[in-house]
Amino acid sequence: MSAPGDHPRASSQRPLALPPDSTVLRAGALSWLFPRRSALAAALLLPLLALATALAIVASSSGMGLAEAVGGLLGTGDPGTVMIVRDFRLPRLCVGLMVGAALGVAGCLTQTLAGNRLATPDLVGVNEGASAAVVASAAGSATGMVGQWWLGPIGAVLAAALVVLCAGGAGTAGYRLLVVGIGVSTLVGAVSDLIMSRENDNTAGGVFLWAVGSLNGRDWSAGTPFLIALLFLVPLSLAAGHRLQLLRFDDEVAASLGVELRRLRAAALCLAVALAGLAVGVGGPVAFVALAAPILAQGLSGPTRVPVVGSALAGAVLVVAADALGRVAAPVELPVGVVTSVLGGPFLLWVLLRSDRTTRKARTRP
Amino acid sequence: MTETTPGLEVRALHAGYPGRPVVHDVDLTVAGGQVAAVVGPNGCGKSTLLRALARLHRPDSGTVRVAGADVWRLSRRQAAHRVALLPQSPRAPEAVTVAGLVRYGRHPHQGLLRQWSREDERAVHEALEATGTGELAAERLDELSGGQRQRCWLAMVLAQHTPVVLLDEPTSALDLGHALDVLALVREVAATGRTVVMVQHDLTAAARHADLLVAMKDGRVLAQGDPRETVDETLVKELYQAEADILPAPFDGAPVVVPRARRTVP
Repeated sequence: MSAPGDHPRASSQRPLALPPDSTVLRAGALSWLFPRRSALAAALLLPLLALATALAIVASSSGMGLAEAVGGLLGTGDPGTVMIVRDFRLPRLCVGLMVGAALGVAGCLTQTLAGNRLATPDLVGVNEGASAAVVASAAGSATGMVGQWWLGPIGAVLAAALVVLCAGGAGTAGYRLLVVGIGVSTLVGAVSDLIMSRENDNTAGGVFLWAVGSLNGRDWSAGTPFLIALLFLVPLSLAAGHRLQLLRFDDEVAASLGVELRRLRAAALCLAVALAGLAVGVGGPVAFVALAAPILAQGLSGPTRVPVVGSALAGAVLVVAADALGRVAAPVELPVGVVTSVLGGPFLLWVLLRSDRTTRKARTRP
Repeated sequence: MTETTPGLEVRALHAGYPGRPVVHDVDLTVAGGQVAAVVGPNGCGKSTLLRALARLHRPDSGTVRVAGADVWRLSRRQAAHRVALLPQSPRAPEAVTVAGLVRYGRHPHQGLLRQWSREDERAVHEALEATGTGELAAERLDELSGGQRQRCWLAMVLAQHTPVVLLDEPTSALDLGHALDVLALVREVAATGRTVVMVQHDLTAAARHADLLVAMKDGRVLAQGDPRETVDETLVKELYQAEADILPAPFDGAPVVVPRARRTVP
């Protein structure tokens, strides 16, 4: 546009650096924006992640010392320690990181889609679907071992598809989807309970441990395929997140800014279900991470962004820290899901009470 | 982009909802550099027409061409390079700043690998300057007055750099002074060669600020043309079932509508 440029105040001013809150990196025709506040959030979360990782390697219910653990990691300790650290703790740590990141990103996508901070993937039946599939698989086995982790994501996708089908399409990311989700979840949960009630204590115990969310005994057999899936799903989520910013406008504005809303909503929902389904399949339905991680990330990176990276980091920190905490906090090892539940309850209350207060404040503002 | 004439061509457009046709057989040509004002009573199909032009409501038949291309044959993104829309009372993202809002106007030109080109930067600067919102750039949108906010929204639409700009009642929530600001701005936008189509409730304002008046009733175009020739007692009567006197404005002779009474419909 050939600007009229006759506005006296604007033209007398030194041009403002735009956008004011980001750093720009350009290379030829390519350009990237790095919002400074999001970078700051990452700078805060990364040391926390390093700390949680260190804690997870060292934390021990068997009284292993710090030096011993480091020796085990480097392969200089005695063979037993090396095996414990390298073959048990390291894969468990990596799986924990991935479970947390996947739940964080999935929660970020669903919260942005619904425009509601309490919207998590389990509202569309992900947890119950995954649980039903895993329970059904364990029911057949004599040992009660929950081996087929990949049944989790399949169950999750099936349950979510059922929800979307009943709600009449993914285009309505509103209440209809959530209400149908609650109904389908209850139904699918009832099926799991029915199967469980007919099993022996051994199977029921194994399934129970999975169903509260546990990383105990997770290794690369689940970790490697999970990692490969994440390498596809996380970049796609980043691309979706860039466009999901536009959902904060009305649909009319977003559409006239070039966003294909139906396709975007459907894609974001599929990504969220796939990510959460994988996480639940591998680690069980670890509570509150998908809810809390995006809220923490949003708080750090400011309200105008869709914090995909921040949610991944926050989720990873939460799961790894909770898992490590569960190993040292009690005389008996606590599953990670129990720890996140214990910490998550007060967090949820805090979120609800705080949002109540801010809306009240906004209402009384002149 | 700005020299293309005509900017907008609508041919035999029919649009509506299942079982309820709303827009009938609309033909409309608006050249680049022109402002067209669509007027008519509530429910006459103005908004549906605007939505069809903005590629938001798929017409049942007919074509909408922008700079020679049928918008309904383009992708949503391609269409967003040609047509920008400012709805009536748009909702902004929470806590967004003015610069942050205007930045979104560049979204159709951006991607994961091209997040902020020099062209984006230039377009946003120009849009802020053209709307006089440069010094508000760092302010939060929700802390501004209605008039300022509307100028910021216009800046966002301008930053989109489209040959056609559609405005749905851009002055309906503004007082007289701010409404004049916005309408003057609309004229400036058209002066850059763009085509502007706005829905207007105020017939007098439409007659003064538009080059082309499009009067709609019951989904049909009742009259269209130069406002000075189009606006008369008969038109007001037919559009609104109201008696009115039409006076020439002392300042420039543009028609001024002075309503007398609601005509009792026989």
